[in-house]
Amino acid sequence: EWTAEPVSTGTTIMAVEFDGGVVIGADSRTTTGSYVANRVTDKLTPVHDRIFCCRSGSAADTQAVADAVAYQLAFHSVELEEPPRVRTAARLFQQSCYRYREELSAGIIVAGWDPRRGGQVYMVPMGGLLLRQPFAVGGSGSSYIYGFLDATFQSGMSRSQCQEFVARALALAMVRDGSSGGVIRLATITEEGVERTVLAGSDLP
Amino acid sequence: SPMVTGTSVLGLKFSGGVILAADTVGSYGSLARFRGVSRLLKVNDSTVLGASGDLADFQHLRQLLEQMVIDEELLGDGHSYSPRALHSWLTRVLYNRRSKINPLWNTVLIAGVYGGESFLGYVDMLGVAYEAPSLATGFGAYLAQPLLRAALERDRIPTREEARELLERCLRVLYYRDARSFNRYEVAVVTEKGVELEGPLTLEANWEIAHLV
Repeated sequence: EWTAEPVSTGTTIMAVEFDGGVVIGADSRTTTGSYVANRVTDKLTPVHDRIFCCRSGSAADTQAVADAVAYQLAFHSVELEEPPRVRTAARLFQQSCYRYREELSAGIIVAGWDPRRGGQVYMVPMGGLLLRQPFAVGGSGSSYIYGFLDATFQSGMSRSQCQEFVARALALAMVRDGSSGGVIRLATITEEGVERTVLAGSDLP
Repeated sequence: SPMVTGTSVLGLKFSGGVILAADTVGSYGSLARFRGVSRLLKVNDSTVLGASGDLADFQHLRQLLEQMVIDEELLGDGHSYSPRALHSWLTRVLYNRRSKINPLWNTVLIAGVYGGESFLGYVDMLGVAYEAPSLATGFGAYLAQPLLRAALERDRIPTREEARELLERCLRVLYYRDARSFNRYEVAVVTEKGVELEGPLTLEANWEIAHLV
């Protein structure tokens, strides 16, 4: 039964760009079938100081790819003698996800800040497509909030507006999607650094 | 197996060149997931390419093509790939992939003007390739192609404005009847002078008949 099910980050993940950085968020539920294997998962994985990825799909696949990309980026950054671009990180993800598209089950959002282009969000869905977007959502829970997002998103939001937007969207998805739940993990990435917060229980919008 | 896909691409020859049109949506199954995707690609000053099918494979094709064009420019002999040559090359690539049971899941239209002649060709993921004065992929093959062919039979070769209008009309029909389409689209016009990419434009739909029901 549940031992045969792959471990999946059921999930709702989201990233929004604002002037000066990005806000990323995710739920914290990992499921094996319908059992919650980890209720406090951290799906916001750093691949470099100011570049994170939000992972959805198979937990194993996404962790493996993220580890590989983190290594490649660290090496690249030493060669470059400067922080890598977010676009480079996204492209590295895309190369793995496209090459092994038949074997992998991974939907990834790459988001971060670099000195050249500021805050950026890139979507690498299953299949290995690479697209830059002002905001991106992914995971099973994302289906339930497309309407909310279309109605509420405006470009040019401030940092705190973005944080509120992400928190509200994730909370709505987590309520409706059985594979998403737990706490909301938020991270805001800017030139100054990464600020992480956790919204739990009564803090949820 | 395809994941994020694009729907129909339409192509039509006119008196001074060729036009391609495609909507700008990337569908994830039935979900209109990415609404600002460009499915038309300018290859060089004499050719454009429009793709339907898997968009990740299209991005891969785009990289291959861009590299080819760069390599060719490096030769510095003043020659650039003709639309017909690109069509032939693409046919080989797609056919060989299918023969390895690992196809690039795309159906592609190539349009261009070279040596004063306009070219419009089709290649699909099986390596099936042909040319015609009007072409359409996906749903367009069923809904738009008859409209395009009827117009060509009536008027021989349309002018640029007539062709543009006809393509818009076909895109509107596709928007009504193709459940995976979208009302934002792009157009690429190729003439002797070069390639013009227009868009994204929005289609107006007419729902008057709803009141009659």
